[in-house]
Amino acid sequence: MQNNILPTIVKRSENGPFTKEADFERALSKRAGELVKQYGIKFNPQTPVPSDNDMADRLYQAGLELFLDLGVYNQTTKRRILFSLDEVLDLMGKVRSSLVLGTGKDMRIMRHRDVEGTTPAVVLSGPTGTPCSEKYHPLILFSCAQEPLVDMLGAGSVSTYMGNQIIPGTPLEILGARRDALVARDAIRKAGRPGMHISDVAVPLTCQGKMAAVDSENGLRPSDAFLVSQMVEMKTDYDQLSRVAYLQSIGMHIVDLMTPLIGGLGGGAEGTAVVTIACHILGVVLYDASYHMMSHTHLHWVNNTDRMGLWMQAMVGQALSRNTAIPALNDIYCVSGAGAEELFWEVAAGALAGTPSGMNMQGAGCTGGFKADATTGLEARFIAEVSHASLGMTRQQANEIVLELLTHYENTFNNPNRGLSFPEVYDENTVEPKENWLEKYYKVKDAIMKMGLDLDGGWKKVKNVQYS
Amino acid sequence: MSNTVDQTLDELKQALTDGDSNKTATLTRKSLDLGVEPLALIQNVIVPTLTQVGQDFQDFVIFLPELMASGDAAEKATAILEEALASSGQQMTSLGTVVIGTVENDVHDIGKNIVSTLVRAHGFKVVDLGRDVAPSVFLEAAQKEKADIVAMSSLMTTTRPSILSTINLFKEVELRNDYKFIIGGGSVTQVYADEVGADGFAPDAAAAVEVCKAILKK
Repeated sequence: MQNNILPTIVKRSENGPFTKEADFERALSKRAGELVKQYGIKFNPQTPVPSDNDMADRLYQAGLELFLDLGVYNQTTKRRILFSLDEVLDLMGKVRSSLVLGTGKDMRIMRHRDVEGTTPAVVLSGPTGTPCSEKYHPLILFSCAQEPLVDMLGAGSVSTYMGNQIIPGTPLEILGARRDALVARDAIRKAGRPGMHISDVAVPLTCQGKMAAVDSENGLRPSDAFLVSQMVEMKTDYDQLSRVAYLQSIGMHIVDLMTPLIGGLGGGAEGTAVVTIACHILGVVLYDASYHMMSHTHLHWVNNTDRMGLWMQAMVGQALSRNTAIPALNDIYCVSGAGAEELFWEVAAGALAGTPSGMNMQGAGCTGGFKADATTGLEARFIAEVSHASLGMTRQQANEIVLELLTHYENTFNNPNRGLSFPEVYDENTVEPKENWLEKYYKVKDAIMKMGLDLDGGWKKVKNVQYS
Repeated sequence: MSNTVDQTLDELKQALTDGDSNKTATLTRKSLDLGVEPLALIQNVIVPTLTQVGQDFQDFVIFLPELMASGDAAEKATAILEEALASSGQQMTSLGTVVIGTVENDVHDIGKNIVSTLVRAHGFKVVDLGRDVAPSVFLEAAQKEKADIVAMSSLMTTTRPSILSTINLFKEVELRNDYKFIIGGGSVTQVYADEVGADGFAPDAAAAVEVCKAILKK
């Protein structure tokens, strides 16, 4: 197939099988359940980081079959966009396995990672998924950008413009998008990293809002990226596809955002994992994505650091690593917020489940998105430290430590510690963590080092390979 | 006879729990043939079974596909019972009418769909307006359906202001006090509900059912 298949996608969107959305959802639920049984995909809560290569390969096949059977639902035309196996294999074969993100000395290469491999994960941070106030958003971004182990910055989302609620599709959305893009660029400039890759400005919800944030001097550039979203599950619309057209035409990176819900249409962890594989294939075939942001969450708790969420990250990561060239990225999403000790335990478990499973790192999403400003750069530092320290570790070793980490936070899910807001844990002038937050960081760090992870020396494993 | 009735009702409960629509329809008709009153079937079988299914979903014993299947089966049974009531000159009584939707610009509707399923299963008439619902559409639907409750969902902080816009529109046309407003979704908290003057806030689908019941008792 040609590289630009948007004409084909539009044609199929207009002429594919007409299906009511509710019927598509029911068909997806039913088929995912059947494929779980057919391919023998089994979740075991005692093994949040499985070491079962065969199950990983079966999971990939199940996801591929789901994608071929169901196709993608276009909410605008209420029709399914279908692809043949040959088309999918052709497009999957063209996937770029490594990407240059950002420019100059701050450029990073995101790579396809092997299971239990030694290629370091890149770390994307920022308040993606955690709402910020206008007042603290610039400081939160700077707190992430200044962390040496953070490789890329997500600009996150602010819901007001000069105190006014931003209504999508209005001039305030354009102004808000341009402001947040500028704030992100300012943050990386102040951090002395002007070429750092910026991954999305989240405030705009429309295609024109995203386009407004593109500005080579004061906004996002082609070396940066914008998200193109999938609606839950395996759905798109013309607004999202128009973003693809625009981003492709200016040569800008496209990030395929998927937010599968564990307990949702896919059912439990197994079915949702099958759906998530299909979502990655969708991101390749439909969105021509540079990289994929896997942001699955528990339907009730809105996190992915519980056993099902960790298992899904590990299994999907392994399935993609073993069967595709995709550089996969997982968004570690937590119930706890900055200032809460539990947040460090949660992100450590997420980083440890993902790194030996072939994932790159993103995080941390804090408080399930419920509390504004409860996010900082310190937990991003911790994700990087844990991820780098676990390079080369076997999945079985990681599983044992993850089981221990879970005991420190999994009993809080029904009554989570949402933590404190940014100014309560960071000095607003120096933008350094305060003692109350550092104490918790060191406490958890010491405890995890006693479990055998060299959190102080992990960076040595990555220092010579970032640019090679 | 009584044993046969009990066994049929047990089987109906199981069919509902399993989300087996065809079996549910067959057993509903069989129950009517055995002389069970339609209203008794609703009160003693459908509502308690769906309550348990809802609780199992809340506890993550089952997931959305199973909940949806049970909801579909319950709808099938309810349609048969409505028909039976109508042919005997009676009418199905509902606990109230709920007009529900995800607010303008918000395309997330899984949570709202779950609330619709559970609220409907508990005996309310639910008019689901879908997602990305403009304030004027909520207003028109509330008037047309003679709604008791207007239920709004918003997942994102960027779309949350539409909740306030909708309530404000009802105020502007002096119809605010004709309806109860309940809100929920990922971006909504009790504090926000108080701020916008909503009558109720539901942190999850099971709570939404209770809020609907409680709010109409007032």
